[in-house]
Amino acid sequence: MLDVSGARALVALGAALLAACAGNGEGLDANGQPLGSAGGTPPPLTADFQSIQDNVFTPVCVRCHSGAGAPQGLQLDAAHSYALLVGVPSNEEPGLLRVQPGVADSSYIVLKLEGSSAIVGAQMPFGGPPLPQSTIDVIRQWISDGAASGPVAGAAAARFAVVATFPEDQAVVVPEVARIVVAFSHEPDASLINDTTVHLERLGTDAPEPAGPIFMRLADGNPRALLINPRGALAAGRYRLTLRGSGGGALADVNAHALGIDYVSEFIVDITP
Amino acid sequence: MTNSLARFVSRCMALACVFAPSVHAEPYLAVGQGAKCSQCHVNPTGGGLRNAFGNVFAQTQLPAHHLDTGTDVWAGGLARFISIGADLRFDASSQQVPHTRTLAQFQMQQTRVYLGASVIPDRLLVYVDEQVAPGGALNREAWGMFWSADHSWYLKGGQLYLPFGLRLQDQTAFVGQVSGINMTTPDQGVEFGWLKGHWDAQLAESNGTAGGAATSNGKQSSAQLTWVDSLWRLGAAANYNNAAATGSRSAWGVFGGLKTGNVAWLGEADLVDDRSLAGGGVKMLATLVEANWALARGHNLKVTGEYLDPNRRVAHAAQTRWSLLYELTPVQFVQLRAGVRYFDGIPQLDSQHTRLYFLEMHGFL
Repeated sequence: MLDVSGARALVALGAALLAACAGNGEGLDANGQPLGSAGGTPPPLTADFQSIQDNVFTPVCVRCHSGAGAPQGLQLDAAHSYALLVGVPSNEEPGLLRVQPGVADSSYIVLKLEGSSAIVGAQMPFGGPPLPQSTIDVIRQWISDGAASGPVAGAAAARFAVVATFPEDQAVVVPEVARIVVAFSHEPDASLINDTTVHLERLGTDAPEPAGPIFMRLADGNPRALLINPRGALAAGRYRLTLRGSGGGALADVNAHALGIDYVSEFIVDITP
Repeated sequence: MTNSLARFVSRCMALACVFAPSVHAEPYLAVGQGAKCSQCHVNPTGGGLRNAFGNVFAQTQLPAHHLDTGTDVWAGGLARFISIGADLRFDASSQQVPHTRTLAQFQMQQTRVYLGASVIPDRLLVYVDEQVAPGGALNREAWGMFWSADHSWYLKGGQLYLPFGLRLQDQTAFVGQVSGINMTTPDQGVEFGWLKGHWDAQLAESNGTAGGAATSNGKQSSAQLTWVDSLWRLGAAANYNNAAATGSRSAWGVFGGLKTGNVAWLGEADLVDDRSLAGGGVKMLATLVEANWALARGHNLKVTGEYLDPNRRVAHAAQTRWSLLYELTPVQFVQLRAGVRYFDGIPQLDSQHTRLYFLEMHGFL
């Protein structure tokens, strides 16, 4: 039998909801960002990374994909997104790159945005409407064009530097981490990437020892990212990655600007489940 | 069925009949019954595998019509020490976004399978929550939990959902997205719980990377305290995550429930200060108010209002989300839901003006 005693309560809730109104967007640009924060209304979406960052990642994705607790470790704010997307294996499907330059169909971000049956977990954006296919097509186009990063802004443009590493400094990872990623502010001079400028050592109670043979190359389509692959699974222990940026033959960018310092990052391989 | 199980089921049914006539599987049910989450779930913070009481309760009190199965009552037990459970949600939906072609689709929202092994009965439980669809399998939770002899405290370790606010069925609620803590973002760590009388308390320490690679930069600390009464409950939660190299993220929440007649109310307000973002960080506010009107046994009308301020420093950017759902549980193990969600936000973004209409089949055991 229908009980109507709750109707009064629902009316009260409805009145309360009416008091909580959405914003009118005054003073905001087309992406919901404050006018003037990026020099005025952003241009419409185009197939370049900065445009995708401004029109998609920042207004839509960053609400969840930010900070250390970002789902799957994927931070999509402007400071991190490119380094963590292009040429980087997906956490959910490690056999696929999040963005594989030149191959949109195999890029996991496209599969997630389109809700492909091949994905693990939910279609993105989570909890919101799917991006319009026209927007996804622009992202596809950017990837098909090689997923270039576009101009480097601000202080990062001034000097050659390491902007991010994966694993992060002091991270604890499982042995399955088969790839180390170093993101530079500029494209490094590939001829200077060798065993004298890039060291991976295992730290023990005695003197550090080489971690074993490693294979190094710049990521396809993302020459600012250096991929370092140990030839075998790393044993448990503490590791130190050193990028020699001083002295003769030091790491430098394609314009011969040296790194200037020896960059050191350490991480731990933990085999405990 | 063994005699002992038959006696247990009988007791459960007797207890279940004491409760109000409409029950489902969400926090409002606990509010409506004045019960803690551990009344029906093996996880004391709620969600996932139901215990034997929860299973029998759901079959006898939840549906509009109970199909008599004689003495063969499903109680989740596969064997003496092993229990399983599952949730399946399958939708037909129509999603309308201004200036965009309407998207109508069938969609498997999720199928989850739960497995619990009571390797030391009532004291030590090993538990797994695995999402098996859509797409590839994805482990959500995997933990072990040790109970004290009087069940006044427990220690849980592994991959787990963190305690923070209401554990809602709708993982897309603003309060779950803004806090970053919901049933899609488990973390690896340990949780200590204390349950005494009206009080529930949890403390958790975890990697703070939502299950990703850990970092020695910092960790995530969570604390929650709840007072549960027969007609109302009130809780507070706090979370601090300094695992990011770029800055910390803090969240505070207050939440509660109230029963007025046949309506069970839920409320939550979360404030998040994310200093990992550029420009000095962002402060976000999300609130939820929900009313569940038990029209009759097996019939529930749910109205939810949500508010989100994505950046407290930026005016006129707030969003709202209203939901109206009718939930029918015709027989045990099956729930049908029909609903509409209306999003409202700034006029510049069409996606903030979505209307979602859906029919959902929810199977559970």
